[in-house]
Amino acid sequence: MNHLVLEVRPPESQHYVSWGERLETVARFNQPDEVHALCEKAYSLGARAVLAVFDDTIREALAAFQRWRDMEVWAVLPNMFAFIRDLTDRGLIGAARARFMRLTPPQMARTAFRAMLDLGSIRRQDLAVGTMLVCEMELAALRSLRVTRLFLHPQVTEVALAGGAPAVFMALAAASERLGIDSGLVTHNPLRAATVLGADQRRFAAIVSPCNPKGYKMFPNRESCERMFSSDPARFFASEVTAGGTVAPEAALAYVRALGLAGAVLNFRTVEAAFRTNAASCSSP
Amino acid sequence: MTDTRPLRAAVIGAGRMGMIHGHLLSIYPETEVVGFVDLNTRLRDHLASQGLRAPFYPSVEALFTADTPEAVFVCTPTHTHLSVVRECLSRRVHLFIEKPLATTRTDAETILRLATEAQVIHAAGYVYAHLPIVQAAHDLLRNGILGEVLRFTAHAYVSEVFGPKRGWFFQREQAGGGVVANMASHLLFILGWFFGPIRKVVATTRSHASTVDDSAQALLTFASGVTGLLDTSWSMPGAQMLDYGLTIDGRRGTLVLCRDRILLHLLAPAPGHEAGWSQIHASDLPADTTFDVSPHIGGEAFYRQLHSFVQACQSGTLPFCSLQEACNTQRMIEAIYASAASGAPVEVS
Repeated sequence: MNHLVLEVRPPESQHYVSWGERLETVARFNQPDEVHALCEKAYSLGARAVLAVFDDTIREALAAFQRWRDMEVWAVLPNMFAFIRDLTDRGLIGAARARFMRLTPPQMARTAFRAMLDLGSIRRQDLAVGTMLVCEMELAALRSLRVTRLFLHPQVTEVALAGGAPAVFMALAAASERLGIDSGLVTHNPLRAATVLGADQRRFAAIVSPCNPKGYKMFPNRESCERMFSSDPARFFASEVTAGGTVAPEAALAYVRALGLAGAVLNFRTVEAAFRTNAASCSSP
Repeated sequence: MTDTRPLRAAVIGAGRMGMIHGHLLSIYPETEVVGFVDLNTRLRDHLASQGLRAPFYPSVEALFTADTPEAVFVCTPTHTHLSVVRECLSRRVHLFIEKPLATTRTDAETILRLATEAQVIHAAGYVYAHLPIVQAAHDLLRNGILGEVLRFTAHAYVSEVFGPKRGWFFQREQAGGGVVANMASHLLFILGWFFGPIRKVVATTRSHASTVDDSAQALLTFASGVTGLLDTSWSMPGAQMLDYGLTIDGRRGTLVLCRDRILLHLLAPAPGHEAGWSQIHASDLPADTTFDVSPHIGGEAFYRQLHSFVQACQSGTLPFCSLQEACNTQRMIEAIYASAASGAPVEVS
């Protein structure tokens, strides 16, 4: 397999078996050092990229980690959960203003200029224009990181795919091309993405979708997804590889490898399980 | 007889839930969106930018003047549900109503009566009940895996309210309450579906961040004899999405319902299950969904919820998530608030 990718998301935005596990994990990964340590474990397993939804802790940890290690950051923008929370707390203008105020003066000027050019679309609450404006502000706040790929947050992606609205994806691809970096998709619906994007799917260097031997979260079904993956395996990265922790990491990765996909995206549980297995095999006589 | 023409549906209320339902109706193979209705006509362009280009109407009257949908999805603020339903049911149109059904039990029961008299199919939007793992837990209980069910403990927590909030969702008169009506009601619906009609409630609620209830504890007694505790808060740190859990004790064992799995402990073997601990993970259940509109919140449950409603409309048989079941939830909500206000147990008739 070419690539292993670590997935990091704010721990508050993930699901847990129990409330106790949630609190323990959230408290742990609110420490940048813990995120840093997770990155180090993933690096030791061979991961050379981090697919990240950002909060302050993750941004700080990845900035520190990139000083030590050659690890790409694949940014998933915007952080929709934080944005929706801001929307209910501050309204649309307040949510945008909060992101604007995090920018440096030159970034503010650039963002304001772009917003002026798109004023009509912003007033109409155009999905593509609004999403990209928020994305670009959040990306500007990642200036301390070396970001090599841009992805849209799945909450936006799936809605735009359902509506058959390619404009937001084209806007992402165009923004990435302007920045000289790649764009990608994170989706549970890769077949729908192919239908909506058509030949333009080639503009997305990486498509991250569930892939596991149980067909878990593979929509509409495992067979169709695998047929799609096999048509262009170098573009696809497997997520949900352990099917919610029910397949052992080694078996999960062997499965992805057999399909010839470009790589696999591993969450913190899979990385830690694989790291423990590796550590045990290293220490056994 | 089964009717397999696409169900022609309109969405009334183009806020967040209206948009989700609009997308699902667009992607589902057996439905067709024939219109959106919202007082805020500026949403027309916003919907169009998402690919939702069905005709947009400023009122229910305008919708029905221009078209004849077979079903409507009522996604307006809760306090408007009754008036919207009244207006819609001047024609024969199937009803899907977002949760909670109404701001009061009386309004909810009026909605149920109107829908029943109109002889239409009806359903309520308690989406989590459509998660395959929740349905698996329901099936296990119905098949008597635990024997006589005795008691339960349940929680529903989310990190949402840590100070004053704006919008109708946080106004008691418009939303019908706070965390109990709008978040815990998902779990109350599941409890009612599992254990039957509610009989008695003792509860306390507190408003410590917003002007509505931000947390609550309730001791619920069902007519079936099952009793249990519900603890809920939308001011708990650590959970951007609703975190719920349910532990059910019966004479033959214990069932723990988590987000993506069931943990089962049986005192003796049962058909298909060993004694002791076992686990059923969501990935072990049959997959029957073709599109995931919201991977992190609700997941395939949204698609399954629509599937259940469409099947009901086609077959003429009410779904399990009918307004009748939603009225049981509304009785629990109202009883929790009544008990909290009076400081006394509330018997539910």
